[in-house]
Amino acid sequence: MTDDSQRNFRSVYYEKVGFRGVEEKKSLEILLKDDRLDTEKLCTFSQRFPLPSMYRALVWKVLLGILPPHHESHAKVMMYRKEQYSDVLHALKVVRFVSDATPQAEVYLRMYQLESGKLPRSPSFPLEPEDEVFLAIAKAMEEMVEDSVDCYWITRRFVNQLNTKYRDSLPQLPKAFEQYLNLEDGRLLTHLKMCSAAPKLPYDLWFKRCFAGCLPESSLQRVWDKVVSGSCKILVFVAVEILLTFKIKVMALNSAEKITKFLENIPQDSSDAIVSKAIDLWHKHCGTPVHSS
Amino acid sequence: MAQQANVGELLAMLDSPMLGVRDDVTAVFKENLNSDRGPMLVNTLVDYYLETSSQPALHILTTLQEPHDKMDTDVVVLTTGVLVLITMLPMIPQSGKQHLLDFFDIFGRLSSWCLKKPGHVAEVYLVHLHASVYALFHRLYGMYPCNFVSFLRSHYSMKENLETFEEVVKPMMEHVRIHPELVTGSKDHELDPRRWKRLETHDVVIECAKISLDPTEASYEDGYSVSHQISARFPHRSADVTTSPYVDTQNSYGCATSTPYSTSRLMLLNTPGQLPQTLSSPSTRLITEPPQATLWSPSMVCGMTTPPTSPGNVPPDLSHPYSKVFGTTAGGKGTPLGTPATSPPPAPLCHSDDYVHISLPQATATPPRKEERMDSARPCLHRQHHLLNDRGSEEPPGSKGSVTLSDLPGFLGDLASEEDSIEKDKEEAAISRELSEITTAEAEPVVPRGGFDSPFYRESLPGSQRKTHSAASSAQGASVNPEPLHSSLDKLGPDTPKQAFTPIDLPCGGADESPAGDRECQTSLETSILTPSPCKIPPSTRVDFGRGQPPPYDHLFEVALPKTAHHFVIRKTEELLKKAKGSTEEDGVPSTSPMEVLDRLIQQGADAHSKELNKLPLPSKSVDWTHFGGSPPSDEIRTLRDQLLLLHNQLLYERFKRQQHALRNRRLLRKVIKAAALEEHNAAMKDQLKLQEKDIQMWKVSLQKEQARYSQLQEQRDTMVTKLHSQIRQLQHDREEFYNQSQELQTKLEDCRNMIAELRIELKKANNKVCHTELLLSQVSQKLSNSESVQQQMEFLNRQLLVLGEVNELYLEQLQNKHSDTTKEVEMMKAAYRKELEKNRSHVLQQTQRLDTSQKRILELESHLAKKDHLLLEQKKYLEDVKLQARGQLQAAESRYEAQKRITQVFELEILDLYGRLEKDGLLKKLEEEKAEAAEAAEERLDCCNDGCSDSMVGHNEEASGHNGETKTPRPSSTRGSSGSRGGGGSSSSSSELSTPEKPPHQRAGPFSSRWETTTGEPSASIPTTVGSLPSSKSFLGMKARELFRNKSESQCDEDGMTSSLSESLKTELSKDLGVEAKIPLNLDGPHPSPPNPDSVGQLHIMDYNETHHEHS
Repeated sequence: MTDDSQRNFRSVYYEKVGFRGVEEKKSLEILLKDDRLDTEKLCTFSQRFPLPSMYRALVWKVLLGILPPHHESHAKVMMYRKEQYSDVLHALKVVRFVSDATPQAEVYLRMYQLESGKLPRSPSFPLEPEDEVFLAIAKAMEEMVEDSVDCYWITRRFVNQLNTKYRDSLPQLPKAFEQYLNLEDGRLLTHLKMCSAAPKLPYDLWFKRCFAGCLPESSLQRVWDKVVSGSCKILVFVAVEILLTFKIKVMALNSAEKITKFLENIPQDSSDAIVSKAIDLWHKHCGTPVHSS
Repeated sequence: MAQQANVGELLAMLDSPMLGVRDDVTAVFKENLNSDRGPMLVNTLVDYYLETSSQPALHILTTLQEPHDKMDTDVVVLTTGVLVLITMLPMIPQSGKQHLLDFFDIFGRLSSWCLKKPGHVAEVYLVHLHASVYALFHRLYGMYPCNFVSFLRSHYSMKENLETFEEVVKPMMEHVRIHPELVTGSKDHELDPRRWKRLETHDVVIECAKISLDPTEASYEDGYSVSHQISARFPHRSADVTTSPYVDTQNSYGCATSTPYSTSRLMLLNTPGQLPQTLSSPSTRLITEPPQATLWSPSMVCGMTTPPTSPGNVPPDLSHPYSKVFGTTAGGKGTPLGTPATSPPPAPLCHSDDYVHISLPQATATPPRKEERMDSARPCLHRQHHLLNDRGSEEPPGSKGSVTLSDLPGFLGDLASEEDSIEKDKEEAAISRELSEITTAEAEPVVPRGGFDSPFYRESLPGSQRKTHSAASSAQGASVNPEPLHSSLDKLGPDTPKQAFTPIDLPCGGADESPAGDRECQTSLETSILTPSPCKIPPSTRVDFGRGQPPPYDHLFEVALPKTAHHFVIRKTEELLKKAKGSTEEDGVPSTSPMEVLDRLIQQGADAHSKELNKLPLPSKSVDWTHFGGSPPSDEIRTLRDQLLLLHNQLLYERFKRQQHALRNRRLLRKVIKAAALEEHNAAMKDQLKLQEKDIQMWKVSLQKEQARYSQLQEQRDTMVTKLHSQIRQLQHDREEFYNQSQELQTKLEDCRNMIAELRIELKKANNKVCHTELLLSQVSQKLSNSESVQQQMEFLNRQLLVLGEVNELYLEQLQNKHSDTTKEVEMMKAAYRKELEKNRSHVLQQTQRLDTSQKRILELESHLAKKDHLLLEQKKYLEDVKLQARGQLQAAESRYEAQKRITQVFELEILDLYGRLEKDGLLKKLEEEKAEAAEAAEERLDCCNDGCSDSMVGHNEEASGHNGETKTPRPSSTRGSSGSRGGGGSSSSSSELSTPEKPPHQRAGPFSSRWETTTGEPSASIPTTVGSLPSSKSFLGMKARELFRNKSESQCDEDGMTSSLSESLKTELSKDLGVEAKIPLNLDGPHPSPPNPDSVGQLHIMDYNETHHEHS
């Protein structure tokens, strides 16, 4: 990392002592100063360090392609996006698909459906499973992003990324999960297998919804940093870490239903620790991502 | 009798095989039983049953009802029954408990019976009955105290029973202690089978005896305490003159003779230590009643010790159970059996006196009593005689004792069977056996008392002399007594008090009688002495109950009064004695067993009795007989038999008790043996202990030795240790010295080493110096050699110099010779050459300068080139950047467009939906209108509506009027779904849905290509307008309208190109409105074309890029 030298030389020691993210902000600012933002570097940065929350929305937007890498066009593109948002919203209102009372997440969903041409004939039609996924993610995103236009766009692009970029890798995650769980704690895995709970684990919740609704948003956004920046494997490690953290309880449970039920409703208090550990675990197993260039 | 025979027949018929007869007879019996209240029929039935064990008879008996089931008032049977019950009770403590209330009931009834005497029961029987009731009382109280007491409480709380309680039960209660069970136990506990499991029959009997205070009944097993209590009690009681210990015993049958003796004996045996105490009380007693005591005490003392007079009286007593018991016990203990004999005389005497005194006035004597007495007396006398005979023949009694002992087991076995059977034969046999045993038992102790034989013999032999002897006997008793008195005064001390008060009445009686000088008194005395029959009992009971109250069977005493009876008795006894002598002489052979003797005795007694009854003219008696109404003698016999039976029963009962005692004795003996064995064992253990103690002492001694040796060794070791310690210390000191020395040496060594090191350093330094100098030397030598060679070279060079100098000189000479000819030319040439050279040089300079400049130029140019290249690259990059930027924006716009498209679709969908609905409504309306037949009006209205709606699309309407006129009209008229025509598609959005995505690219390809042409220089009037018209759609509706319009126009163009003029004019009109916009695309012609065409935009981009590229390059 060439730009590491430009940064404060103490940064290395900060990390060693445990102060994380002290220097990241500065380096991120340096990165963001570039005209024609380098998305690769941003990706690498976002995989290596937690994003400062004030830049998160921007970085995500850039990484998800909502904003072009050029600063100049940001305003204009953003205007387009905004107009598009309001147009779609207006249209939905006109056709009375949504009203002011409609929850924001559902509004996003309808907008998404409209834009992808999947809008059902009537709002009362039952939701598809993928719509549920969208709703869950939108709900979580709502908490993370303040602006509704941003939120809609990020959600939309996020889901899009899941459906396109990770389409092939997402189904492989359960296998990877078992593999890493076996590495970390084989006994736990055998216990799960003994209870025949291994195939019944909430993979949908974990990998399709990316823990939306499972972890509190404050910790979840740190996970999603990695997902947005192009690594869906982090999800596996979060899942592994959840199991390791609640190992005792899981070991105490004997039926697959109970285990699944417990895992679907894990206590929220330790989620920060889980995410931190999961990221460490991810770094440990997959190595710290280094900028390829 | 006729009735009896009749009954007999009926009974015979009862067992007839004919059922009918049997039933009849049963009915007859029952009728009889109901009508007849007498016990006769029942008795016959019972007898019959016993004989034949006939079932019907049993059946009738079991169904007996009142009053028959209670009718039996035969005392003999009752007494027997009670005695059997008493005997059985200890054997069946557990199974009997369910009948406990029955037992209590029996007791209650019998006790009331004793008082009330229903029917004409002989008093003699009552005495028996009373005794048995008393025994029953003891048994019940002993076994079930709580239940019994509660029964008593409940039963005698009733008023009608109060009298019975006072008269009968209360006195009984005086002879029992408080049962411990009353305190610790409960009603249920008593009935607990566990309580009885531990106890055997004899245990139960003894338990019962323990609570008795009756000296004859009580058990003294507990040791001194009981006897002491009793002995202590008696003196106290003696203070009350009304009761004597003998009389107190409640068993009113003349046991007065034996009981005092036995009690005293027991006391003698059991409480030697308490003699002083007991002695003190008699002494006080003696003081209080000086004359009588002094008068009678010697005789009493004599009575205790002198046996001779008693034998005559003892036998009758022996027939009585109590006396029997004591007799045997006394005999077993080796004390003279006869002793009591002396004491009784005074007692009966007194009683009889007393009795005479009171009963004389009444002067009513019952003959049966006399006979009874005779009857009972006879065997006694006979036995007495027999005894005497025994002594006379001087047969060793030991042999007889041995026989009885050998017989004992058999006898015991018989006893068990006897208890079960009540049949008379067996009973008699048992009695005989019993008697024989008793006699032998009595005989034993007599032997050592041979010395007293003679007086006894003398006195008892002449029955007729009795009258005279009666006084003499007492006197003699007194004379004989002193001897034992002296010898055993201390021993007999306790007895004296008891005896001292028995005679209390005697002096009175004697005092009363003697003045009267009645002979009757003496005769009565004698009879009383001679006849031990139950008649004697009454006096005692009377005394017991107190003098104020006339005893219930007072009249019995009358029997003793009549002189005639007395005579008769005497005579009878004489005869019997003779007969007995004869028989005993025959029996003298030792081979005859006592059993046989007894059998014979009874037999003879019975014979004599019957003979007497038959033969006697009874002159003297006639008065009495007549006096009693001449009742038949057979009655007498019966009563006597009954009495005999009663006595036998009593005997059996006593024998049972004795057997139980024997059992107990055996057990106790075993315990004693065990104790002895244990003692021996103890002794052995003690010996062993002593031996072991000896051993221990030996061990101790050896231990001490060992300890001494050990201490010695210890001392030796200590000395050794100290020695060694000192050695060690010395050695350590040495070692330290050595150590110090070595250290010194080591320091020296260190110093030496230091010195050596220094020296070495110095050596090194010296060596260095040497080396250095050597080096210097070599250098110097080298220099020397160098200088030498230099010198040589110098020399050589000098020589060369010299040679060269010479050559130079030579050459100078030569030069000087040749120099003058060529100098001009050469100089000229030189100059020419020089000039030429200079020229060339300048030329070269010029050339190089040129080269430099050109090179510089090249470099300059190259740098320029590079700069340009770089610039180019930057430009390219920038271009890319810009392109990217544009692309980003474009993408955003594109997505926006897409969104718009979707929105449009949604809207279209919505509109269609609405239209659908509208049409449905319209259809309905139209149907209605058709009904109203106003179709034309409706058409017009619709047209008007269309016109009004599309204000901005005038042209469209105009144009549409031409083409869609036909299509429009059917639209409202016909159903929209069914038409599906092209014209419908143009107007409706359903077709546009299909056309819109496809048409624009297709259509646009046209315009762009045409525009391309315009740029290349082929302008067409129509095309720009079309292009300009495209982006003019600012509003959604406008765009929509345009689209729709264009479709029409184009389709029209395709169809006929000539009509385009119309559309042209239309478009120009439209373009006027949007003229500005239309111009912009024309002028700019580049990157700002119609935004809604993504494909063409891409094309444009590429073109633009290419163009710019070309420009740049």
